[in-house]
Amino acid sequence: MIEVDKLNFTYPGVPRPVLAGISVCFQAGGITALIGPNGCGKTTLSKLLVGLLRPDSGTIRIDGEDIAGLSLFQIGSRIGYLWQNPNRQLFAPTVEQEIGFGLANRGVTAEEIAADTEYWLDFFHLSHKKGALPLRLSLGEKQRLALGAVLALRPPYLVLDEPTGGLDRRCRRELGQLLRRLAEEQGCGILVVSHEKEFIRQYADREVELL
Amino acid sequence: MKLAAIDARVKLLLLALLSTLALTMKQPAALAALLVLTMVALLFGGVAPVKIWRQTRMILSLIGLLFLLQCLFDRGGEPLLIIGGLTIVTGGGLQAGLVVGLRLLIVVASALLALTGETRDYLLALRWLHLPWEVCYMVQAALRFIPLLRQEAQDTAAAQQMRGCDLKNASWRQRARLYITMLVPITVGALQRAEAMSISMEARAFRSRPGRTSWRRLQMKRDDWLYGLGFVFVLVIIFFVFK
Repeated sequence: MIEVDKLNFTYPGVPRPVLAGISVCFQAGGITALIGPNGCGKTTLSKLLVGLLRPDSGTIRIDGEDIAGLSLFQIGSRIGYLWQNPNRQLFAPTVEQEIGFGLANRGVTAEEIAADTEYWLDFFHLSHKKGALPLRLSLGEKQRLALGAVLALRPPYLVLDEPTGGLDRRCRRELGQLLRRLAEEQGCGILVVSHEKEFIRQYADREVELL
Repeated sequence: MKLAAIDARVKLLLLALLSTLALTMKQPAALAALLVLTMVALLFGGVAPVKIWRQTRMILSLIGLLFLLQCLFDRGGEPLLIIGGLTIVTGGGLQAGLVVGLRLLIVVASALLALTGETRDYLLALRWLHLPWEVCYMVQAALRFIPLLRQEAQDTAAAQQMRGCDLKNASWRQRARLYITMLVPITVGALQRAEAMSISMEARAFRSRPGRTSWRRLQMKRDDWLYGLGFVFVLVIIFFVFK
């Protein structure tokens, strides 16, 4: 469970806090949708949850452990994070290496990396692009690749910021079904930041609205 | 006197003089004097010590590495450190290391001095030097992109860590490999952004007419003259003292 307690955050040089006194819990084994109007702090909250931003006050705990004392590397082993802009998280020279990057760091054998990479490339319909430079892909392809790179690590929690951005109807449906399987079969706790009401209505168990 | 209020042309002149002197002078004492002068100008000119430290901190490891390399590989002068009959550091090596380190610090400090104030004033200062409008605009746009590029580099480093890179405990070799990996997305991203920006600008009639007028005018005031002449006077003294 990810617990957020009395969280306050203000960006430097901005007079008003983006988040003030936020307390919420995100359960393992379910999909929670984080919704709200533009600029209400959804992306800020998602970045705070994974330690990309540090709160002014308040605590965030993952399975009881305060993330204030954890490095990004340690948080990354528990939470997979999808950036709102996929360009920010693609850095490998090829699509194939992008998926395998995290697996190689975790000490997975070359055979398993090859098998996993093939599975995720196939799942996200990117097999024909496996030798391409990730930053040269279309927006939808980049989004699918970024999702594949995060999901390949099978973290116990996922925080996905606008995961359906740039995806066509078929890819959205496949992603929704996959997220449901991860939540139900593997007990993965998933937080989806999204504006897409149809996707949320179809796949989320709970909605948290920021005002 | 606040540096932000000084005319951009004065600051560009000081930047050019400081950089030229830093590259031509070879004595550590002369370079130290230049650095002290620039730091005094920054601190009394309203630049927060925290900001100076943040900017300098980023290149401290590079300065340390270059200092070490110069110390180890420059063999001139008297031996200063001998271990097991092998000369490790010589007087010439130590001096070369100090010179490189001080030069880099002067470049950073003088850049901080020049970056006070508004970027549009630098655009006007470059126009005053009769540079083409397109070139001036490109310089201004490049300056605006610097914080964005830094944010991208930070995000990429964060993404690498979240996907299993333990940067804190990584060896120098692993770190170097990761930093090289980061160059690819940052360079490609910058090129893509530049391309998109140029198309967007052309689509909105950039260069449709030759030249461009500006409501804002640069005006040299008495304080600008005093500050510029005073600074140049001190630079001349340093030059002749250490010539």
